[in-house]
Amino acid sequence: MIFWEIAKRNIRINVLRSSLAMLGIVIGVVAIASMGILGNSLVASVSDSLSSVGDSVIVTPYSGGGGRGFGSASSSANLKITEQNFQQIKRVAAPNVAIPIYQTAEHMKIGVGSDDIVAVIYGLPSDDVPDLLNLKEGVYNNGNSGCLIGPTFAKDHNLIVGSRISIGTNGDKGTLRVTGIIEERGMSFDISTDSALVVTKEWFENTYNRDADYDEVVVKVKDGDTASMKIAIEKQLNKRKDMKIVNVMDSKATLATIYSTFGMVTTFVTAIGGISMVVAGVSIFNVMMMSVTERIKEIGIMRSIGTQKKEVMSMFIYEAAIIGVIGSTIGGVMSIMAGYAISALILNTTKHLFTIANALSVAEGMGFGIVICLACGFYPAWRAANLNPIEALRHE
Amino acid sequence: MSEQPVMVFQDVTKVYPLPAGDVTALDGVSFQVDRGEFISIMGPSGSGKSTLLNLMGCLDIPTTGDIFISGTRIGDMSDIELTNLRRDRIGFIFQYFNLFPLLNIIENVTFPMMLKSQKAVDPEKGKEVLRSVQLDDSLFTHTPTELSGGQQQRVAIARALINNPDILLCDEPTGNLDSKTGAGIMDLMTELNRNGTTIIMVTHDPHIAEYSRRTTRIADGRIVL
Ligand SMILES: Nc1ncnc2c1ncn2[C@@H]1O[C@H](COP(=O)(O)OP(=O)(O)O)[C@@H](O)[C@H]1O
Ligand SMILES: [Mg+2]
Repeated sequence: MIFWEIAKRNIRINVLRSSLAMLGIVIGVVAIASMGILGNSLVASVSDSLSSVGDSVIVTPYSGGGGRGFGSASSSANLKITEQNFQQIKRVAAPNVAIPIYQTAEHMKIGVGSDDIVAVIYGLPSDDVPDLLNLKEGVYNNGNSGCLIGPTFAKDHNLIVGSRISIGTNGDKGTLRVTGIIEERGMSFDISTDSALVVTKEWFENTYNRDADYDEVVVKVKDGDTASMKIAIEKQLNKRKDMKIVNVMDSKATLATIYSTFGMVTTFVTAIGGISMVVAGVSIFNVMMMSVTERIKEIGIMRSIGTQKKEVMSMFIYEAAIIGVIGSTIGGVMSIMAGYAISALILNTTKHLFTIANALSVAEGMGFGIVICLACGFYPAWRAANLNPIEALRHE
Repeated sequence: MSEQPVMVFQDVTKVYPLPAGDVTALDGVSFQVDRGEFISIMGPSGSGKSTLLNLMGCLDIPTTGDIFISGTRIGDMSDIELTNLRRDRIGFIFQYFNLFPLLNIIENVTFPMMLKSQKAVDPEKGKEVLRSVQLDDSLFTHTPTELSGGQQQRVAIARALINNPDILLCDEPTGNLDSKTGAGIMDLMTELNRNGTTIIMVTHDPHIAEYSRRTTRIADGRIVL
């Protein structure tokens, strides 16, 4: 009623001061919400590129420490998984498929006189390839001199189905013909094929003189229970604690860890955004104290003609609330725009913008803005309500 | 009900405790105001006039003694009850008019009515009272600063009257007006009193005091006859 009207008019009369206080809230909301949006979009885009990984368990030779890093680096030492160990894994994994994988980095040339390039070559059994990789062009390769290539590799070097690649520093390891191009897989925990070549197990063994000493074994878990699979394999192969044979990575659990790390980063940057909200709160407090101080006499008149303390208080709370709601609303709209800009600039896509998580981030920023305004308006309002009416009336 | 005095002071003392020693602003004051009276209170500066007016206006409570407003003892009332008493039974008129600058004339006048009803008030109610204090209709939607001092004081009187108070308390109501405008305000008050409004007025101006029907003098916190 009338106190709401007075609050509105007081804001209008002090439009500059009120707008500056609102601006603080706008910035605070934008800081919190756009940080949240950025974090959410980051998680969404990462999960997008990780989604093709599926449920797998990746077994690598035990390397003493905490296992392998993200993105699979080739084990430089001669740590391998033996045929015997592979058979054990296969038995534990059954009926799921266990795929033995060779891996190396190699020099190669594309066409005569082209630059020497280095790329990763994976060797795996032809029968298992369709379980792990999908093709976007061409056919799976059965012949010994055929290979599959990743989409990035194909694009970077202008390769098509039928192109030839000369392997080795001087082509000393022969020539491979591209039979198919693999679908994009993004980052993955098992093998990263986007910029790599995939050859048959036989070609790899002949070329590099390898014999059943694998770099990695991937188990595709059909029922999705990767945790149990990991435990089962570890139980079978790492019987002795002091002499472990393999590291076993559960792709799902690793993914969960990555997400929770992203979550923590998002929370942290949002908290930094929160600092600007605290600063905004201080300016709201100042504006409200000013508003009370310059109206002490008016408060005295109100109280003397029968205005209750809580009514005086409500008038100032309304004022803080109006600033908070308007500031937060503008901030909410602007943070969607800021989120759009940041996503477009940093992630090169805005398709992850209109999600529930982002709506929550905006709501969180706006809610925090309003709560800060009310909290910072509370003390000045309380002061106003509890002024001694006689002294307030005498105030000039 | 009409037999009951509007206000009774019984042996009222007001002491302000100060570090340098207590100040006794009022010392054993007793008097009674009957319905329809027009009393002026005079006294030198520091004699206790403002203290007396604050107690009569329920802005403060006595240190000792009893005060009754229309039979209700205010000594142990809560702040909420005292505030409601001010809203419903007392009309205040100040030297500096004290209108609300953010509200227009009608809103200023109906403000106490809105406090009482807790909702919006028909502007006609405000206009009625404003006409009774002889304010021109054309001014009703203006803001206080657009009015002359005399006009503002008429609005203040209308605001004080809107809840039909038992008593009108005036603190130097003409103190900030030229003598001609002041006389106009005093004529209005005299007319209000003739129509039944009880008025108590603090003033230091003997000419203004002449408008009242009874003058009480105060010195050193005591009523002197
Ligand atoms: N809030 C107060 N605190 C302490 N002393 C006060 C206060 N108000 C008034 N007094 C003292 O009480 C006495 C009466 O003051 P007051 O009622 O203001 O007189 P008047 O209005 O007639 O000038 C003075 O001595 C004054 O100093
Ligand atoms: Mg005084």
